[in-house]
Amino acid sequence: MASDRLVERRRVFQQYKADVKERGKPFYPYAMWHDTLMSFVVVGVIIGCAVVWKYTSLLGKLYDKPADPGTINFVPRPDWYFYFLFYLLRIFKWPNSVFLGTIGIPTICLLLLIAIPFLDVRFERRLLRRPVAVVAACLVVVSMGVLTYKGATAKEALGSELIAQVPHWAAKQGFTNNPQAIAGAKLFAVSGCLNCHTYLGSGGHNLGAPELTAEGAKNKGIDFQVRHLTCPSCVNPGSPMPSFAGLGPARLNQLAHFLEASKGGK
Amino acid sequence: MATRRMTRSEQLQQTILYPLDWLEERSGLVGGVKYFLFRKVPGDINWFQTLGSATLTAFLVQATTGVILAMYYKPDPNSAYASIQNITNHVFAGWLVRGMHRWGASVFIILMFMHMGRVFLFGAYKYPRELNWIVGVLLLAMGLGEGFTGYLLPWDQTAYWATVVGININGTAPFLGPFLAQFLQGGTYINADTLSRFYSIHMLLIPGGIMALIGLHLYLVIRLGVTSPPWSKEAAGTGPLADASTNGAGPRSGLVNPRPRRSAR
Repeated sequence: MASDRLVERRRVFQQYKADVKERGKPFYPYAMWHDTLMSFVVVGVIIGCAVVWKYTSLLGKLYDKPADPGTINFVPRPDWYFYFLFYLLRIFKWPNSVFLGTIGIPTICLLLLIAIPFLDVRFERRLLRRPVAVVAACLVVVSMGVLTYKGATAKEALGSELIAQVPHWAAKQGFTNNPQAIAGAKLFAVSGCLNCHTYLGSGGHNLGAPELTAEGAKNKGIDFQVRHLTCPSCVNPGSPMPSFAGLGPARLNQLAHFLEASKGGK
Repeated sequence: MATRRMTRSEQLQQTILYPLDWLEERSGLVGGVKYFLFRKVPGDINWFQTLGSATLTAFLVQATTGVILAMYYKPDPNSAYASIQNITNHVFAGWLVRGMHRWGASVFIILMFMHMGRVFLFGAYKYPRELNWIVGVLLLAMGLGEGFTGYLLPWDQTAYWATVVGININGTAPFLGPFLAQFLQGGTYINADTLSRFYSIHMLLIPGGIMALIGLHLYLVIRLGVTSPPWSKEAAGTGPLADASTNGAGPRSGLVNPRPRRSAR
C-alpha cells in the first residue's frame, strides 16, 4: 500500500515535470515581471513606513528614553509580531503552567510546523478536499490574530495612577499603621510590579506573574522576600522575573514589608 | 564591402561576449543564469506566488540597510543610544535607512507568514517539496530570532526591558534554557557584553544562516519547480502526456483547451 503510494507520487511528479516542459512558460519574462513589480511594491511599502514613522506619530516614537538598568518603572513589551507570545503568557499562571506559555506551546507549534509534510501525505491539493487543513489554517489565523490584538490592547499599569490606590490598599490589608509597608506600597505602585502582577484588582497579568494580594499570607518572611527581589531566578529556578537589586537594600526591605503585610484583605 | 561589415560586427559581438564566454568556460555560471531565467514554470502561476520573491526582496532591504546602519552604530552600552540618535538626526538620510530597517523587519516577518500561508493553502509542501518546507520553517524561526536580537540594539527602555524578560523566558526552557540564557547575555545577568553579543548574533550569525538557507531554499525551488494553483484546470501534473498531442492543434492547446481533470488522488 505504502509503496503503491510511493510509486504513484513519483509518477505524478514526472507528469508534473513533463507538463511544465510541454505547456509551461519561461520564468523570464513572464513570472519575473510579476516578481519584479511585487518587489517594487514591497520596497515602496517599507519606505512609506519609514516616512510615516518619521513625520507622524502613527507608528510610535522614534526611540524611547535610554536604557537604565536601575530604573524603577518599565514595561516589558516586545515588538508587535511577538505580541501573540506575549499575550499567551498572560493566559498561564505561575508556577504550574507558565512553562507551557513560555516554552511549551511555542516549541510544540514549531515542531508541528516542521512535521506538516509528514502528517499530511495525501496528494490532494484542492482546498475543498482538504477540510482539516483549511479549518486548521483558519483556527491558526484567528487565534494568532486574537492573541496579537489582545497583546496590543493589553492595558499597562501606570505608576502615577496606581500610587493613588495606596491608601485604599492600606485600609483593605490593614497596614495603615505600618510606615515601612506604606513606603513599600508606594514603591510597588511605581516600580512597574503591576505590569506583570495583579494586586487587589489592579495590574496586568503578564508573563504568568502571580497575584500578590495574599502574598503575605504565605508567611515567607522578610528575608525571603528581599532575597527573591534581588535575584528571582535564584530563589525560584526558571522565573522570568527580572532582578530588582537596583532598588537598593533599604527600598527592597520596604517592599518586603509591604508584601508580608499583604494578607489578602477583606 | 558587405562581407567586411559582417566581419566587423561579428568581431564587435565577439569582443563584447568575450568576458561572458571566458566566465562560462571557467565556471558555467552563464549557463546557470540562463537556465534560471528561461526554465519553464507552469503557465497558470498566480500573483500569490510572488510572495516568496517579495520576502527575498524584504530580506535584501534588511541586509542593505543593515550594512549601512552598522557603519554608524556602536554596540556599546555607553554609546549605542547616542549612535542611534546620531543616525536618526544627523547622518544624511539616516532616519530613512533606520526607518526602513525598523519597519522592513515587520514587513519581512509579515511576508514570511503570508508566503508560508500560501504554500500551505496551495499544498505546495507535499511530495517532493517537504524538505523545502522544513528549510522555510527554519528561515521563519531565524527571522523571528533576528527580530528578537535586533530589538535590543537601540538600547532604550523598551528594548532593554523587553530583552531582559525575553532572556529570562529563554532561561526557563528545560535542559538547554539556562545555557541559552547565559550564552545570550554573556554572563549570569544582562550586562555590557550582552549588547555586543546580541549585535554579533544579529548581524553575523543569524544573517549568515539565513543567507545559506535562502540559497538552499532557492536551489530546491529551481530544482523541483513551482506548483500550479490547486484550483487550476490546467494544473501541471494532472493530465497524462498523451492528451496533449491528441487534444489538438497548436503548441498552446494545453493552455487554451483545459483538459478534463483526472480524479483526485
